[in-house]
Parts: sequence; C-alpha cells; structure tokens
Amino acid sequence: MTTKFDLNDDSLVVIVGSGAGGGTLANELAQKGIKSVVLEAGKRFKMEDIENDEWKMFGKISWLDKRYVEGPARIAKDFPNLPAWIVKGVGGATLHWAGVAMRFQEHEFRMRTENGTIPGANVLDWPVTLKEMEPYYYKAEQKMGVCGTEATGMPFHGKSSHYKVVEEGARRIGARCEQATLAINTEVRDGRPSCQVNGFCMQGCRIGAKWSTMYTEIPKAEATGNVEVRPQSMALRIEHDKNGKVTGVLYADKDGNHLFQKARLVAVAANSIESPRLLLNSASAMFPDGLANGSGQVGQNYMTHTTAGVYGEFEKPIHMYKSTVVPGIVHEWKDNDPNRGHYAGYELEVLHLGLPFMSAFLNPGKSGWGRELAESLENYDKMAGFWICGEDMPVESNNITLHPTEKDQYGLPVPVVYKTDHINDTRMRNHAYDKATELLEAVGAKKVNYLPPYPASHNMGTNRMSAHARDGVVNKWGQSHEIKNLFVSDGSQFTTSGTENPTLTIVALAIRQADYIADQMKRNAI
Amino acid sequence: MKKDKRDDQSPDLTRRRFLTHSGTAVVGLGMLSSGLLSAKTWAAAAVGEHASATLMRMARDIYPHDTLEDKYYAAVLTPLAEKANGDAELKKLLSEGVKELDNRCDKLFARPYLELENEPDRVFVLRAMEDGAFFQRIKGDLMMGIYNNPELWPRFGYGGSAWEHGGYINRGYDKIDWL
Repeated sequence: MTTKFDLNDDSLVVIVGSGAGGGTLANELAQKGIKSVVLEAGKRFKMEDIENDEWKMFGKISWLDKRYVEGPARIAKDFPNLPAWIVKGVGGATLHWAGVAMRFQEHEFRMRTENGTIPGANVLDWPVTLKEMEPYYYKAEQKMGVCGTEATGMPFHGKSSHYKVVEEGARRIGARCEQATLAINTEVRDGRPSCQVNGFCMQGCRIGAKWSTMYTEIPKAEATGNVEVRPQSMALRIEHDKNGKVTGVLYADKDGNHLFQKARLVAVAANSIESPRLLLNSASAMFPDGLANGSGQVGQNYMTHTTAGVYGEFEKPIHMYKSTVVPGIVHEWKDNDPNRGHYAGYELEVLHLGLPFMSAFLNPGKSGWGRELAESLENYDKMAGFWICGEDMPVESNNITLHPTEKDQYGLPVPVVYKTDHINDTRMRNHAYDKATELLEAVGAKKVNYLPPYPASHNMGTNRMSAHARDGVVNKWGQSHEIKNLFVSDGSQFTTSGTENPTLTIVALAIRQADYIADQMKRNAI
Repeated sequence: MKKDKRDDQSPDLTRRRFLTHSGTAVVGLGMLSSGLLSAKTWAAAAVGEHASATLMRMARDIYPHDTLEDKYYAAVLTPLAEKANGDAELKKLLSEGVKELDNRCDKLFARPYLELENEPDRVFVLRAMEDGAFFQRIKGDLMMGIYNNPELWPRFGYGGSAWEHGGYINRGYDKIDWL
C-alpha cells in the first residue's frame, strides 16, 4: 500500500486517470508484475464519504472545473458550463455509473460497412470485432461481477415495482424487456456484499455492492506493491524526446508544485474531454497540433449517446426510487433497422431519479417552473420512466477544443465542448419518445413528460481507434498510430458509440490492452 | 500556491456552484421551519412589508403546491431576506426586482402584482421576467428549499437516504398491487 516510486524512474508505466480504463489497466499490469504510477486529478474518497443524497454527492464528487458548452443544442443553454456529469476522484466515473454492463452487438463494430456513408457523419468501422472482444468481455464480466451473465452465474436482482410497471407496458405493446445485467452483486462476491437496494447507485454505492475501481481494482493493484496512486495530481503535459517517444508526464500536485514523472510508457485514461485536452496541451515543435494528432482527429467525433428522459405519471403509487437505479432495459429497438427512419439502435433504460434531481431535470433551465411542473412533481411517487440511450453519430465538428484565452486553476486552457445533434440523433430520439410514450400509456400513464438531454455521463470518441493512421488516433490496441509508447485507455478510444453503456467495453479493452502492453514490453518493442 | 479549493467547500457552496452551472443561482437550505416569523412579516424587517408579501406570492406562483403551508416557502425566503440585510447587492436585487414586477403589472393590468387575482395574469408577467437574475435567484433558492428539503420528502412520497435502514431489499422494493 505504501509503494513509492522515484520521479526519475523511467522504467514505469504512467497512467493518467483511475476510472474504468486507468484503474483496470493499473491492476491488470500490476498482476503481471508491471509497475505503474497512477496520476489521479481528484482526491481519494472513503466509503464513509458516500451518502444517499443527490445534491451533496453531486457537489462532493463531480468534475466541476471550468468548461464551456457550445452549439445550438438546448444543453448549451441549460448547462453552459457543465457538458459532462462525471467524477473527479480515485475511481473516476465508476463511482457514479449505474452499473449497467452490456456487450456491444456484433454489427456495432462495423457501422460503416453496415450502413455505408451517412452524410454529415464521420462513421468508421472499429479495427476490432465482437469475436475478438468476446473473451475479454467474459473476463470483464467476471472481474466486475455482472449479474445475469454466464461469466458469474449470479442471478438478476429481482423485479422492482418500477421494473414491473415497465415490463407490463412492454408486454402490452409486444416489446422485449429484460432485467438489466448490472455489475452489482446479488450475492456476496469478491469480498463485497450483496445489493440491499438503496436506490442511490449514481451517488456512489455506500456498501460497495456495485463495482467501482475505487474499492476493487485500485486497492488490489496497490496490494501487489507494483502500483503507486497519486491523488490530487493533475496531468499538465506529456513530454517527448527528439525521437518522438514520450518520456513522462508533467503534473501539478495538491500544493500546486509542478513535478515530472519519468516513464517508459504513458497511458491516458482521463475521460473523453480531459484525454484529448491533455494530448492537445502537449503540443510541441515536433508535434505542433498536439501528440498523436497527425490525423487531426484528436478531440473530434465527440459522442455522448443520443439521450433524453421520458417519465409517465400514473394514477397509483409506484415508488420507483425503491429499486436499483436501472432495474431493466427495453431492448426492442437496439438493432440497426433503417426502416424505422434512423440508423443504429437505442435502449430504453428503466431509470429513476430522486425527487431533488427530478425537480432539476424534468424541465431544466430557466423556464422550469409553474403549476404544470409542480403538479408533476406532486406525482413523483406515481412516476415510472426511462432514460433513452442510443448510438449517436460521430460528427467531426462535435469536438473538444482549447479556449483561446481563458485558463483554469492549473493554468491550462479551459476546454470548450461543442456538441449538437446529427439529424439521425434527432430522428432516433423522436422515435424513442414515441415508443416510450406508447409503452407507458399502454399500462396506464395519464401524462408523459419529455426531458431533454442532461450533462453527459457517457463521453466517447475523441481519440478514436482506426485501422489506418489517417482516420483516427490509436490502433486496435489503443496505441497511438504515431507514438509507440503512448496509449489511450478510456472511452475516448471508441470508434463509434454503440447503444450500450460504455463501461463494460472500456474495461474489456483495458484488460486486452494490458496483455498487449505486457507482450510488447517483453519483446522490447516499447 | 495553486490549490484546488473545492476540497474544503461546504455542501451549500457546491450546490450553489452547480446551479450556477445550470444557469440558476441558489443558496443552501437555511433553517427550515424552526424559529420563523409569521408568514406575513417574515422578511418585512429586511425588505419591507410590501416586498415581503410580494415575494411570498411570487414563491407560491413559481412552485405552486396549494396544500403546502406558507412556512415552507418562508423557510426559503427568510434566510434570503436576512442575508440581504448585510448584502447591499442582494438587497438591491430583491427590492428592484419587486419594483420591476409591480411596474410590469401596472403597465398591463393597472394594478400591482399582489392585487392580480388571477394566477394566469401573474404567471404571464413572471414568464416575461424569468430570464432575469432576480427571478432566477428566487427560483433557484426555492427549488432547493422545496424539493431538496428532507422534511418535505414524505409529502412528495420520496424516501431519501436508505442505506442506514438496510435499503429496500426487505422493505417492499417489489411491492405493487395495481398491475
């Protein structure tokens, strides 16, 4: 637990970020005897810091550093400084995620081949197939403890009242609905307890039943003696030598001291806004557009999933909060069927918010007030509904750039996030609104509310994988096309978003990447 | 020395920070229903009788819950008015906001806000002001004070913190009798 590595130790792997990608990579490497330093911008929380309180936890764990949202989408008006709802802390967004763990579908790795050119979108096939990923998905499901899978043999959670309402609506309209495969224990497993259904998965799981690198991968990695986690250490810049190989990471510690940690290899896993930002901030004479950016794709193709909320108000109580946050999924429209009027698929994820967040998101922004809203909130205990989660189109102009003048508390240019719908996203969302309404009304909803997208927890695509260097940032192993000892290990590698929640795929990729790194190091190729 | 100051921020500050992010200002919860002045005079000392009565009417128009007692709205407005006593800028925001509200009502209906008997008329005027700092301040404080008030959660049928009660695994998570 007390391993300390020297700043001048250039035999180390330096990993930026400790979430699903970085935390998993650190542990996988550590188990193979490969030493690493994990630089984590946020602090280390304790289990006692986790409370069942939406606003308190939002304030405590969220990444709230200055950012701008631009573009014509409503989110830029409702949340001008909060594009993403993610975490600054050891464990990263695995504190906040709802635990939904689904594999990509086979066709989702080759959407370019599937649909041909989609005007206005920058769609590309992944350089990886489902077949190649399957063994890693299996390992990821075992590692994380995903219920309802062959990998763990753990049963589902059991049907909550919220789930039962949706299941009945789905039955009445002939839509396929299943309990969610969640990385939340339904049995005591891996030293963690079984879920007791607190209903606050997204505020951090108070009892540790939900997988988070904060209390799984990170302590396991530290226990090997091969890993040093440095919390409150913000990566500022990756340096390189005259041969174009990276040499280490300059970072600011909690007191603002600038330190340089040498490295044999650097893996960036700081989520899809910070990861490209770090590569862009590392521009040099040799790499004037930023590291790994010969294709110009660093920071481009920012994806968040096509999202929205739909909540029906019923005549009788449901108490949706007495449930895992996502008890089930309506899978009916997750396939790629352009006959629906849009490419790619979406899931209707049964999901609850507490009253405090419902009041903020039911009609967010300045005009969210008045009798209609108040009456809906009086029906809070009679609500059931969904979060729509669909594949969104990669669009080059949806991107992360650096503010030309404004700097943050670390002296780094503030990130500017531009995100708006591709027409396919809009069509998909409207289809999902219609189907969700049909389902909820079939089981008796008297009124249905449509919530616009809120700050994104699924952030993807800004350092994408590609077969050819000209099309993307990293190869099929997450290794930079241009710099052999620079890797990307988070969701920013995603070539396309799929409809599934990204965490399971991030973890599977990290396990696979660790195998590759170990092999390459052994061969002295990196 | 550069330091990330967020680590020692209070929950109130962080809440305010989020709502600033979301385009809405806010303060913390304040003292809820304990030790309040009567609903009519709650803020008179700070902003005067007329302004305090106007703010109360406005609060009930922003989030109208007819069965909720005035004290819950006053619990949001009282700390705001008290704060205004020592904060000239806030005091100005409140008093000029009320003035502007009355002026707009006067123009449209030849009466001050408090004398508009029809809710749609009052809402019509408020809608025209909703983008302004005054309105957003009141709305933001109310949103936290009404919907993030644990004392009121049972009235809305929300359970709040559950882990210390063992969650819902043995407390009816699967119960529904009308399907």
